Amino acid sequence: MYISIPLHLHRTLCLHRTAQYRYPSGPERVLTRSLSRTPDSSRAALKLRTRLGVTLLVGGGLLGAWWWVEREKQQRRRRQRVEQLRTVALGQGTFSLLDHTGHRRTKQDFLGRWVLLYFGFTHCPDICPEELDTLSAVVSALDRDPALPRLQPLFITVDPERDDVAALARYVRDFHPRLVGLTGTPEEVQHAGRDFRVYASAGPKDEDGDYMVDHSVLLYLVSPDGLFLDYYNRTKSPEQIADSIRNHIRNHVPL
Amino acid sequence: MAAPNSAQRKACWDARDQLWQCLDDNNDKTQSCQQVQGDFEAKCPAQWVKYFTKRRDFLKYKEKMQTEGFTPAGGPQVNS
Repeated sequence: MYISIPLHLHRTLCLHRTAQYRYPSGPERVLTRSLSRTPDSSRAALKLRTRLGVTLLVGGGLLGAWWWVEREKQQRRRRQRVEQLRTVALGQGTFSLLDHTGHRRTKQDFLGRWVLLYFGFTHCPDICPEELDTLSAVVSALDRDPALPRLQPLFITVDPERDDVAALARYVRDFHPRLVGLTGTPEEVQHAGRDFRVYASAGPKDEDGDYMVDHSVLLYLVSPDGLFLDYYNRTKSPEQIADSIRNHIRNHVPL
Repeated sequence: MAAPNSAQRKACWDARDQLWQCLDDNNDKTQSCQQVQGDFEAKCPAQWVKYFTKRRDFLKYKEKMQTEGFTPAGGPQVNS
């Protein structure tokens, strides 16, 4: 026969039957439970472990988020810079010059190559050799990485009156073997210089007919699309320039 | 007149460095460094001599500005 009995009575009856087990209740229950399950120290260790784990997870998550945001910011900055350089639109035109072997070269001939370009003159006391040494160091450093395309270093004279093909041939010998010197008529050279907004101004001639050409000192990076991408002044070390170029190559999106 | 080649450039730079060292040691007294000066002028084109002399003057001036400070040129006073 089924009799419905209130739970507490049932419990009491059951308890009564199994006298040795006394079902704990109230504050007793907590103490008994803790005593019957784990000792205090390992329970504390467990809590510490979980706390540590949670902290590391949250910390790691925060760090990851920060790193991701940083990367996004850097990429955005880089994109903005390329946009700015595109608006400035240096090196958009074409040039037609003679290289140091006497062959005519135009801008088209260098498309498809990464170009690192310097304007200078062979009678330059110290700055041009220094910059060409930097240029050579950068190209050599990038040459060492077989995965990267070979850069084309270029030297365009701002002193076409004295720097003819023979003079250039003598000059470029002292620098990177791939360095190509370019010269031409004063008009051709001016046209190329204007393309990159190069400032060049010949000084007064002395009794030997010698003179200096004051000019802006920059290394220009041109992409395989013929687009001017970046410039480097004298404060940049070869390592910094090489790093920057590596970045440009990595992020390059062909037009 | 051909441009100096790499060896000639280096010879000129070394002579210049020696001259500048001599001037530094002798408190910029050019009389004490006549021989080094002569060597420098022989090894470097005239234009380079002029250029490097001006360069040294500039570097000394810059050093003076950085160590001694300077008084800005007087101009119209603006109430800040």
